[in-house]
Amino acid sequence: MKKALALLLVLLLALALVACGSSSQAPASSGDSEADAAPANTTVVVAFGGGFDTLDPGYTYERNPPMVINACYENLFKFYSNEGAPEPCLVDTYEFSEDNMKLTLTLKDGITFASGNPMTSEDVRFSLMRVKNLKGNPSFICDTIASIDTPDEKTVVLNLTQPDSAILSKLTYASCAVLDSVLAKEHGATDAEDAATADTAQAYLNNNSLGSGMYILTSYVPDSEIVLEKNPNYWGTPTNVDKYIIQIQPDSNTQMMTLKTGDIDIACNMSDDTMAELAGLDNIALLSSASKTVGFIMMNLDEQYGGPVSDPLVQQAIRKAVDYAGVQTICGEGTSTPYSLLQTGFMGAKGERPVDYTDVEAAKALMAEAGYPDGFSIDMPVCDLDMEGILLTDLAQKVKSDLAQINIDVNIVPYPWAAGYGDEYRNGTLGFTVMYWATDYTDPNVQLEFLAGGIVGLRAQWTAENDPEIAAYYQKITNATDNAERTALLEEMQEKTYEHGPFLMIAQAPVHLGYNTRLDGVAFSDPYVVDLTQVNLK
Amino acid sequence: MEKLQFVGRRILYLIVMMLGVATLVFLLSKMIGDPISANLSQRALSDPQIVEAYKAKYGLDEPLGTQYYLYMKNLLHLDLGTSVRTNTPVLGELKRCFPATVELAFTAILFASLFGILFGIISARRRNSLTDQCVRAISVTGVSVPGFWLALLALYFLYYKHAIFPGPGRLSNQFLAPRHVTGMFVLDSLLEGNVDKALNAFGHLLLPGLVLAAFTMGLITRTTRSNLLDVMGTDYVRTARAKGLSEGALIRKHAIGNAIIPVLTVIGLGLGNMLGGMVLVETIFNWPGVGQYAYQSVMSADFPAIIGVSLLIALNYMVINTVVDILYGIIDPRVRCQ
Repeated sequence: MKKALALLLVLLLALALVACGSSSQAPASSGDSEADAAPANTTVVVAFGGGFDTLDPGYTYERNPPMVINACYENLFKFYSNEGAPEPCLVDTYEFSEDNMKLTLTLKDGITFASGNPMTSEDVRFSLMRVKNLKGNPSFICDTIASIDTPDEKTVVLNLTQPDSAILSKLTYASCAVLDSVLAKEHGATDAEDAATADTAQAYLNNNSLGSGMYILTSYVPDSEIVLEKNPNYWGTPTNVDKYIIQIQPDSNTQMMTLKTGDIDIACNMSDDTMAELAGLDNIALLSSASKTVGFIMMNLDEQYGGPVSDPLVQQAIRKAVDYAGVQTICGEGTSTPYSLLQTGFMGAKGERPVDYTDVEAAKALMAEAGYPDGFSIDMPVCDLDMEGILLTDLAQKVKSDLAQINIDVNIVPYPWAAGYGDEYRNGTLGFTVMYWATDYTDPNVQLEFLAGGIVGLRAQWTAENDPEIAAYYQKITNATDNAERTALLEEMQEKTYEHGPFLMIAQAPVHLGYNTRLDGVAFSDPYVVDLTQVNLK
Repeated sequence: MEKLQFVGRRILYLIVMMLGVATLVFLLSKMIGDPISANLSQRALSDPQIVEAYKAKYGLDEPLGTQYYLYMKNLLHLDLGTSVRTNTPVLGELKRCFPATVELAFTAILFASLFGILFGIISARRRNSLTDQCVRAISVTGVSVPGFWLALLALYFLYYKHAIFPGPGRLSNQFLAPRHVTGMFVLDSLLEGNVDKALNAFGHLLLPGLVLAAFTMGLITRTTRSNLLDVMGTDYVRTARAKGLSEGALIRKHAIGNAIIPVLTVIGLGLGNMLGGMVLVETIFNWPGVGQYAYQSVMSADFPAIIGVSLLIALNYMVINTVVDILYGIIDPRVRCQ
């Protein structure tokens, strides 16, 4: 038995040595040993986090899948850069009707799907109506589309339920990607009203793409890996990357290590700490940028829930007492503090709240004026979620220490989201909390929900009735399809809410990205994380 | 006939237990989580039409009793239902992620058993020596160190700093995943006739396998040592020693057989534990196994998937216990006689 055991150990050791030797070749730079794999030097390996369950555009809602959808499908409009307005992609020309209730779009000529089928207006109509009727998470994006007419193969007319200045941005959303309707129907997709139960294409679309994008989806192993290969029928000009392997690596340390060793080329979910580990390396470039995810303090306007923080003077004192620079330090490089309700980087944003805005003495004076010269104690329920990796409890601790300077004794109460925080937050019965908001789509109008009468506004009991002036901005901005007019209104809205209302935006969370310098064109993108169709090998 | 009765009793027990587990997990998952608020976005939740459509799609609009009846009816037809998170059949998802866990768990239990028994024997033979103290220290460390921390350390030093082992994942990027036959990459690569790929897949198993093995190896070492010491103190061993047998032959021929029986139980429990998936280790090593699937399912209150994983774990333990019982009989004739 002893000999057998020893023999087994020796065999195992020998096998392990051989296996380690064969596995230690750097895959991204080594020669390819397989005929069925693409040449390694034109293959780019990307790592991003998990937490998503589908690559069917009709159900895509989470943050990371749009990277894949954007590579395999195309939309009527697209954000070619992270700043500014959406630009036409599949669309050649577009025009709003005078009453802004119709949007007429003309498609570009010569667009074909990966299947070789030409793209027509029917494909556009089918894709948008499918999203609407699937009644899934992203269906809200088509809420303002009442119906779609296709007078000819190149013309699409969107009939809107109301003027919608965000409609072009909404059409850039991953869910509004245009599918090859002929093939989609063959695989069980439907745009009928009962699509929520009748559509059976999700399983197929999880493993295959039916778009006109630069790449085609060739493999998807959930929680593990996605493989994209070049679309041989691509109608546009492709980049020089032949293949993408997208690894799902939820841990930022793992991403850091695999980037450094050359196993991956782009790490999308780095943290402040892991960025520091890679700083100064010749072959690694690092990017830190503010995302559109924003952390905020909510002060309920209903005294029943908010108690003293429902008082506008106390709210103003809190605005003056928060140490914004300190919050930025906690959140890490790339963090910014929005001027008001609109994040920096959005069209019409007024930039950042001035660093010297904090004034503890003025805050104390406001507290005295409000009738609280000796301060007060208040509970702050905080949930177990994180904002782009930053724990809300960490933000709450910072708020607690800042407010202690004006004698507000904040008692942080841990309150898990699933244990009731979520319900109370949605019902508007939380008095004083720190929370975050991740944008649904890339358009300043998403922030209108923070206004009086908006979805988030109501969570602080900020109703349209008790603040009609602010509530009116919702409709005014939604109706303003002219960008100049919308920008002016957005700026006005930010001024009005700069020192007014139940919300105080304290930090726009940073995102950190690292990539191998053999690549060109890597940049952080709000809608797509990284736009793979703009990445080239040097 | 007796053997058939034994097997029959086992199967009956298995079925009753599975139904019990399914019922318990169904009720618990209904009590502690709401799949609607866990899977629909805040915007979608504010739209009653979307909420209604979601409920109708997954039968959540039915009374709890009806939901239970439908679920159990499908279960009796071996249909584990459709995941409310991914909208795909749970059975298919388990078929995808379980082989990855099996491959890793068997590697880990092989390491744990080999090193654990070896260390246990060495430790017992050199009782209270420096070697014994070192082995005991290693086994206590293995049992005490949290798996995720060991995983991070192992990855940091043995992959990142010194490149001794390959990195996370099941296969290096230059290889395509082998055609799915068993779902286990080493075996499937060999079936494809690609030895390079099989070796690469085996290389990727080593580091997570060793990390997972640490805990069970510690237990096996300690159990082997203490049982061997007990057996070595018995009368029949003393008699054998008096006959002039060498210490090695004594252990090999007389002691180890009796000492190994409780070790088998530890190995069985360890394997059952690993087959249930190790969430953090799987996450750190980017291993798409049952642990990650179970974690995602719990976070989404995905009750068909949670029940599916629970049944799988229960089945694992039942099968392993049966195998361990059979091994008892092979190793110890007294068990066979009973």
